[in-house]
Amino acid sequence: MKRKLMSSMLTLTMAAAVLSGCGGSGSEKPAETAAAAQGESQAAESTGEAEVITFWYNNTGDEAKIYEEAVAAYNASQSKYKVEGLSVTDGQKIIVAMSSDEAPDVIKHGNQTVIQYAKNGLIEPLDEYIAKEGFDTGIYSDQAVAANEMEGELYALPLDAYTIQMYYNKTLLEEAGYSEPPKTMEEMYEMAVKATKVDANGNIEVLGYPLFPYASARQELIYGFGGRWWDENSKPTPNNQGILDSLNMNIKFRNEFGGKELDSFIGTANTNRYTEQDMFFQGKQLFRLDGSWLPTMMKNFNSDVEWGITLVPGTEAHPENRGVSRFETDSIAVTAMSKHKEGAWDFTKFLTGVEGARIIDLGTGNLPAIKALYDDPEILAVPGFAEFIDALKEEKGVQYPQMADYDEYMNLVNAALDTVYAGKQTPEEALNDLADQSAGLE
Amino acid sequence: MKTKKSNRERKEFLYGLLFAAPWIFGFLAFSVYPLLSSLYYSFTKFNAVTAPKWVGLQNFKDVFNDPLVWKSLLNTLFIAFVSTPINLMVALLLACIVVKDFKGRGLVRTAFFLPSVIPMVAATMVWIWMFDPTYGYINNVLALFGIKGPAWLLDAKYTKWALVLMGTWNTGTTMLVCMAALQSVPTSYYESAEIDGANAVKRFIYITLPCVAHVIVYQAILSIINSFQYFQQVYIIVTANSGVKGGSAAGGPENSILMYPLYIFHNAFTYLKMGKASAMAWLLFIVVAILTVIMTKVTKKVTEDAGGE
Repeated sequence: MKRKLMSSMLTLTMAAAVLSGCGGSGSEKPAETAAAAQGESQAAESTGEAEVITFWYNNTGDEAKIYEEAVAAYNASQSKYKVEGLSVTDGQKIIVAMSSDEAPDVIKHGNQTVIQYAKNGLIEPLDEYIAKEGFDTGIYSDQAVAANEMEGELYALPLDAYTIQMYYNKTLLEEAGYSEPPKTMEEMYEMAVKATKVDANGNIEVLGYPLFPYASARQELIYGFGGRWWDENSKPTPNNQGILDSLNMNIKFRNEFGGKELDSFIGTANTNRYTEQDMFFQGKQLFRLDGSWLPTMMKNFNSDVEWGITLVPGTEAHPENRGVSRFETDSIAVTAMSKHKEGAWDFTKFLTGVEGARIIDLGTGNLPAIKALYDDPEILAVPGFAEFIDALKEEKGVQYPQMADYDEYMNLVNAALDTVYAGKQTPEEALNDLADQSAGLE
Repeated sequence: MKTKKSNRERKEFLYGLLFAAPWIFGFLAFSVYPLLSSLYYSFTKFNAVTAPKWVGLQNFKDVFNDPLVWKSLLNTLFIAFVSTPINLMVALLLACIVVKDFKGRGLVRTAFFLPSVIPMVAATMVWIWMFDPTYGYINNVLALFGIKGPAWLLDAKYTKWALVLMGTWNTGTTMLVCMAALQSVPTSYYESAEIDGANAVKRFIYITLPCVAHVIVYQAILSIINSFQYFQQVYIIVTANSGVKGGSAAGGPENSILMYPLYIFHNAFTYLKMGKASAMAWLLFIVVAILTVIMTKVTKKVTEDAGGE
């Protein structure tokens, strides 16, 4: 009996110790963190040591070296703070770190993630810092600032900009009998049909219509028709005419050349994307909706394809939709649990300012979000950048919605498009189902 | 005398407890605490960082009303009940080959077992290339027979079969277990059957299979339970496909390879819905527990029928 009692007590004691030790990750954390933050900052000041700021970026390899270069430039520019950079590509690690008091002070992520983190209270609103210093956010393009706002508050500063426009293979276009790229979807369709080549077995050798990458078919081809997956209030709007018109055009092309044959081409294109065997680099795609980095990659892979860049087409009925594309930024945010918020803000300003952004943009091949770099000769010398910067200046970017359930919505959208392309549902049926499925999303 | 013995027993018990303490601490900290935490979180709205809010049974309602939960469960059951028997058949077939005495047997055994030691991530990446519709080995081999292979990983009709095919490549461990079982079948049984005029097929059906049935059932149980943890392969395939910057669904085409553990992962770390993910995990726990009880009873019966204990 005594033995049983003793073992029970020991077990309970151990359980209590473990549970209490692991507990406490609740609502007190922000206050505790703030107090700790103040204490640590004061301690650093009193000892005269540089305050250490941790910075996690989701880049690897050569790109990680560019970030380290920017970090080194910041550290050399002042002595109050010392930034320590770390390449962390695993989003799960960031979440776990944030929940276990090991959060970095500054993170770099896409603006979609920034908004999702902001929705979940994981990052710090910057308005207070901006107001305190009179920091001018007008140095960035309007759409770059808007991309990082939620409910009127700014949650991150834009580091670089990301948009998609249309590349075309000049040789294939000429072979199809055209000297100018299309301005409307209708023209593009006509050119695409003429340029698509199939072998004796029906296998597609050259794809005219830009169904690959699928993400562009889901976005830019739809935006050209004026379609939107969400409204201005970030509510899902799968049932709209622009989406339907675009899908019908895609289906028309699929029916003309065979869905299976297209899937085979797209499957191989996907496996080889951005490699030496990339379909566009190999001269097997007439049109390609892609980002500003493509020319640099082609140069690196010694592709001899003669390419041009043009704006994403509009339609005959709506030529004003020409050039409309998704707009994203890589963004720098201060975490809500940061213990060195002042230093984190200081580094954020530097990295997204002219000096920091210039290092990153030139090194990683991304477009600037800061307007002062639009006319920088070295930036403009990067192949394709001049055309993309012209497109950026039009400020026709489609912003991502401020939906907490954005990823879930996109999963539903992609699955719905899969059923349409597989011929299991008509576009109308799939979009109606999608409207029902997405009704409860926030 | 009695007191003395009692003291010694108590001392031994304390020593025992002391030596077991590291494991007990580990068990409490890394098994019991997370288990109880997830049970609590399953009744809360929780994003892993800010304080959880009690929502009662809402997460369980969400789980039952989410069509993707059911789809992911069906996908997982497909792997459990279609892939498992195929893998077992392949493993048994391979074991039947390598158990024979022939020149180069060691080399063949090694070749069959080798895939099992290759890390799953690397193996899956290789399979993605093998499934390439144009340049992939599989479609190229099919083309030799005049068959036009599909876009394995893009067409929802074929994605799960691609996983089944991948699974057959990794049956080395099961093959070894089957091989050991085959070696334990007394040769006298075969000799008697041969005298009675039984051919190879009959010997396999009436002697080999009943004698190794308990091992096969045990392996089947393990495989089925493991199927409910099917994650790595689909995660890598889906991640590779989403190289199209979010161009495909999070569970492959039409979510056809969205496995239950992958959907738990998405809810937890992509959608930051730890509460719903915890509720899903607990439902999975219940399903696996029920299956384990059923399977244990089946094993017991098969073992008894085979004359074992």
